[in-house]
Amino acid sequence: MNVIATIGIGPFDTAWLAAALVLSTPILLAAMGELISERAGILNVGLEGFMLVGAFFSYLVAWKANNLAAGIAAGVAAGMVFAAIMGLLTIEAKADQIVSGVGINLAAAGLTAYLFDEIFGNRAQIVVPTVGDLKVPLLSKIPDFGPALFGHDWTVYLAILLVPAVWLLFYRTKWGLAIRGAGELPAAVDTAGISVRRVRWFGVLTAGGLAGLGGVNLAVVQVGIFHQDMTAGRGFLALVAVIFGRWRPLGVLGACLALGGADALQLRLADQNQVPSQVWGVLAVLAAAFVVYQLVRWRQGRPRKVALALAGLVAAGGVVLVTVAPHIDLPDELWRSLPFLVALFVLAGALTRAHMPSKLTIPYSRGDG
Amino acid sequence: MIGAARARLSAGGVDFILSVAVAIIALLVAMIFVVAAGVGFGHGASAFVNGAFGTKLNIAGTLAKTVPLTMVALGWIVVFKAGRFHVGFPGQILIGGMFVSIIALKIHLPAAIHLPLAVIAGMVGGAAFAGIAAWLWAKRGVNEILSTLLLNLVAVQILAWWVRHPFHDNSTPLPITKSFPNSSRWPELLKNTDLHWDIVLVPVVAVAISFLLARTLFGFRTRLVGSGEQVARHAGISPEKVGTRAILLSGALAGLAGASLVIAGSTPSMGEDFGSNYGFTGIAVALLARNSPIASIPAALLFAALEQGGGVMEGTVGISSSLVDFIQGLMIVLVLAATTLLYLARRKQQGSRGARPRSQATPQAELEPAR
Repeated sequence: MNVIATIGIGPFDTAWLAAALVLSTPILLAAMGELISERAGILNVGLEGFMLVGAFFSYLVAWKANNLAAGIAAGVAAGMVFAAIMGLLTIEAKADQIVSGVGINLAAAGLTAYLFDEIFGNRAQIVVPTVGDLKVPLLSKIPDFGPALFGHDWTVYLAILLVPAVWLLFYRTKWGLAIRGAGELPAAVDTAGISVRRVRWFGVLTAGGLAGLGGVNLAVVQVGIFHQDMTAGRGFLALVAVIFGRWRPLGVLGACLALGGADALQLRLADQNQVPSQVWGVLAVLAAAFVVYQLVRWRQGRPRKVALALAGLVAAGGVVLVTVAPHIDLPDELWRSLPFLVALFVLAGALTRAHMPSKLTIPYSRGDG
Repeated sequence: MIGAARARLSAGGVDFILSVAVAIIALLVAMIFVVAAGVGFGHGASAFVNGAFGTKLNIAGTLAKTVPLTMVALGWIVVFKAGRFHVGFPGQILIGGMFVSIIALKIHLPAAIHLPLAVIAGMVGGAAFAGIAAWLWAKRGVNEILSTLLLNLVAVQILAWWVRHPFHDNSTPLPITKSFPNSSRWPELLKNTDLHWDIVLVPVVAVAISFLLARTLFGFRTRLVGSGEQVARHAGISPEKVGTRAILLSGALAGLAGASLVIAGSTPSMGEDFGSNYGFTGIAVALLARNSPIASIPAALLFAALEQGGGVMEGTVGISSSLVDFIQGLMIVLVLAATTLLYLARRKQQGSRGARPRSQATPQAELEPAR
């Protein structure tokens, strides 16, 4: 591999850009469905499970039926079936959404692992044909950026196109208004003669279908195989993305790209034997930006001295590390947790409570007000 | 008074029947899978019973697995009563185990001090890791479910690094630590089996938690906060403080589970997958026990039998032990569904007086006076 391409992680690194886009796609698919569901008032902790069954059943059917399209449909359907269980528990039975989600995750992980062992346990794994790349005419011919942005399979474009689609749905249709209402003031939706139950069912099933498609993307679109626990936390990242995106389509897109970018970055960095100095540079710049931001806020009379001091230290430390460029050998495992750590910092830094649908996780019964 | 007591007794009885019914249905579903895999019903059932209770070795294995499951279940019950549904047990188990390994491998002491110190280290580790989620929740308003789900994933990577680099046993390519000295390990209760003296923790801690929740000020505050933050605030109780304490305590219990897995396990060293599924299974245990600390013991025993029996069955009749994980998830779903059916039946009985459905995990009705 070209040494410069491996080490470069600047903003003009197109290989990283392409990887970030591909790695964001399953998260973005699941997050868009989850966004609709959460705006309607249902939090799917089981998103990871939906993705996992989507991945498994798409692979299983694609292999058995020898038909990729059937596999994709099966993956989406499997996600929706598990979402239907979630809907039955939380909408019909008004059970706790979080506990239901934990149960669904456990059941999905167990079921897929079991069936995989039983069906494929004793044979060499067969790679099913994957979805080919769909190069956008003309645009993909642009040097450097063309192939990185427009040379992917159709699920990548679908995921991106979902963003304006969901935006239109939310803010330009009556049904979207009902969805947003179901999460904020369900009684009003009810009064308007729209069934809150139906709206929430729509949300949950959409989340299941799109998360299933996210799993499909991981299994038969990207690699053509399945392995245990293939989703590896991506469903949880999608949940974080919805929060970080402040329950808005564009925000969620940004969050997914950031998480996918962090994932692409860790894959790169895990390959290196030492931390490239660019990492320190980026860190210093980010910390410095934070310092400036805090100083501006200080003028408005709301200083946060501890955060400021910490950020100042990090910025200074980053500059020192860039100049000294010490040989620090960070092991792969720590890089692998980078996306999760980024997500945690994002959660800690984002003041999100004000944007949360106020009736998220609260079951609706007529007469509750 | 007597009427109320009787009503509560009968409610307890219904809860018990419900839990048993759920367990039986889940086991029947498991048997369907076993039969579908081409193993006869009788053969499969006897292989399972034998695997869980058939020999001295298997009984010991079942009992040994009861310990971490009970600890995690108790941890869940504590946070559940406080209304904080964190799910960070898997990560807290792993970090607890890591802390144990520091004490066990880096310090040399007589057993009388070494073992207690190692166990305490595990609890501190679990509580410290839970503390991150508690801090994020109390100070930054981060939903504790999401933060703990992420922290679990981080903990897996930290442990993977831990057993490969700083604490790696250099005499083997396997990602494991050196063998722990006997002074840091729980002594065996039954010679040459997995059963160690840590089993005494099960009744002791269960009773302690039960007492703590039902009879102490901490327990009262916890239940008050769990019943509604607004009420607690009006009573001058800080939900943040109480919630943080509950999360820390549950982390310590998870760390205790981690300690048992590491220094009372079947292997003398620590690998990267010692936590397996105990963290999430413990939640299922608590749900099946209907969030009663004492009832967690039989529920944990059932799940431990599932784990042990399922594990042995993989060897004897060739059924993948992943089936057990599925059954555990299924039990959660079934408990939730059964609770609703029960509620609907009760409402029908009372006539529709329009009482609001009590959702399974809203501990509002838990706030009756202790007596």
